[in-house]
Amino acid sequence: MLKFDVIKKFKHSRKELHFQGEIKLSGVCAIFGDSGAGKTTLLRCLLGLEPCFGDININQQAWLTGDKCLVPAERRRIGVVFQEPRLFPHLNVQQNLQLAVNKSNQSVFTINKLAKDLGFESLLTQQTTQLSGGQKQRIAIARALLINPQLLVMDEPLSSLDKSSKKKLLPFLKKISETIPILYVTHSEHELFYLSKQMILIHEGAVEAIGQPHQLFLDSQLSLIKFAQQGLILNVQVNRFDSQEALIEGDVDGQPLYVSAEHPPLGDSIQVKINSRDVIVAMKPIQESSLLNCLLTEVVDYREEPEAVVLTLKLQQQFIYAYITLRSFNNLNLSIGSQVYAHVKTMSIIN
Amino acid sequence: MLSTGDYQAIGLTLKLASLTTLILMLVGPPLAWWLARSQAKIRPLIESLVALPLILPPTVLGFYLLIAFSPEYFLGEWWLTFNDSSLAFSFTGLVIASVIYSLPFVVQPLQSAFINLDKSYLEVALTMGYGKYERLYKIIFPMLLPSFIIASALGFAHTIGEFGVVLMIGGNIPGETQVLSILLFDHVESLQYGAAHQLSFILLTFSISLLVIIYGFLQKRQQRVLNA
Repeated sequence: MLKFDVIKKFKHSRKELHFQGEIKLSGVCAIFGDSGAGKTTLLRCLLGLEPCFGDININQQAWLTGDKCLVPAERRRIGVVFQEPRLFPHLNVQQNLQLAVNKSNQSVFTINKLAKDLGFESLLTQQTTQLSGGQKQRIAIARALLINPQLLVMDEPLSSLDKSSKKKLLPFLKKISETIPILYVTHSEHELFYLSKQMILIHEGAVEAIGQPHQLFLDSQLSLIKFAQQGLILNVQVNRFDSQEALIEGDVDGQPLYVSAEHPPLGDSIQVKINSRDVIVAMKPIQESSLLNCLLTEVVDYREEPEAVVLTLKLQQQFIYAYITLRSFNNLNLSIGSQVYAHVKTMSIIN
Repeated sequence: MLSTGDYQAIGLTLKLASLTTLILMLVGPPLAWWLARSQAKIRPLIESLVALPLILPPTVLGFYLLIAFSPEYFLGEWWLTFNDSSLAFSFTGLVIASVIYSLPFVVQPLQSAFINLDKSYLEVALTMGYGKYERLYKIIFPMLLPSFIIASALGFAHTIGEFGVVLMIGGNIPGETQVLSILLFDHVESLQYGAAHQLSFILLTFSISLLVIIYGFLQKRQQRVLNA
């Protein structure tokens, strides 16, 4: 358990941030919110890098009470990966990692093992200044693990990396999170839904909600709704990849879903985003068309907006939003409980 | 070639410069760190005092030191309570004067390195478990090693080159206060141009090679680390 109730005051402004919450320390807990909402400040308070006031307790151990720091930053044993890699520029890769090893006692990780897992074996003797951003960040992740941390904190670690590096690192992080809990700041819904079972939503300098990503994204009371209404993320089980037709044949809550993809997926599940404006709602399956995806859903909620009606469609556990016009809504005579077929063009699913 | 007097002066100069550099490298880094990080109101005043020898004519500094060292004033008087001879015209007096005179040459490169040192590296070290003093020895010092070498080299070289202050408070006692620059002046005054040429050439070669090493190698190396 990580419990925090901290107030951060700023020297030259009246602004005051107050973060309060409690999370389970298992797996990945994503920290999500707009830029400038205070995500990084919350992390820095937890790390002990930012003077703040309040209480921080981790697994029954008090780190901070009032203005008294009981466990200083250097004894909190948190592995940190910042947005920039921050490798020491005067040392080579091996020496950078050795600095972390020197501070750990009996780490389950070793430099060579991580170098192999993260694919930087050939870089160990290189100067860090010669490496690319992706290479540096992989080494920064290894460094954070080598201190034998009780918690990993990552502040948008993949935001500056290219797609292929992200694809390689995400499964690695997910696997790590089975043994070491991770607090993970991100702007990416894909990373959020892929990695985390738990999220902290930060809005305007405070914790707005804590819960499962799927639930929070459906809550129209939260600031998340502006992301959600563009489209929700679905978890798709991958059954087969057809390389000739460049198509992933998958399964979402027991119903088939086709996703176009150039390359075969890495894991056995993928996250796709279905744009709410690309969903066609019909009372019967549309026949003899190019549409491949037809999902039977139930209308569980709807909301009238000035220019459209937003339907919340439930599969089995997952949800889709659909934007339709008021006229269509009335023509179809929809209400809560209606069974409808949601059609999505394969090409418009964002993989 | 070089006379015994020349050798004696070279030895004395090296001794003075080494001792001065040693003291400066003990005093300089903490002072530079404070100047780089402190928000105190008094900081600009201290910074000005440290920089003063850069623009003040050395003779002015020498004159005030001469007065301070004289037995009629506090420092000189206090010194005489446990020493037989006066601070003025002594080697110890020269060391004190050199430390003051060369202080900015040690403090300024270090201060600039400390200012340019990205705090984020220290944060990383902190989260890795490195405490205050460990960060100093294991991170800051190795990272800024070129600047530490530059600072001590400049302090050393500048002490070797000082003339005005030594002239005012050192007198010209062979083996005690007769350093290279003073001996050179002696040679010229007594029209021994050959001897003057030799000493000048030695000082010139030394200074140029030192500066080439500093600007051509050390500073570049440090910039690479600081700009990374």
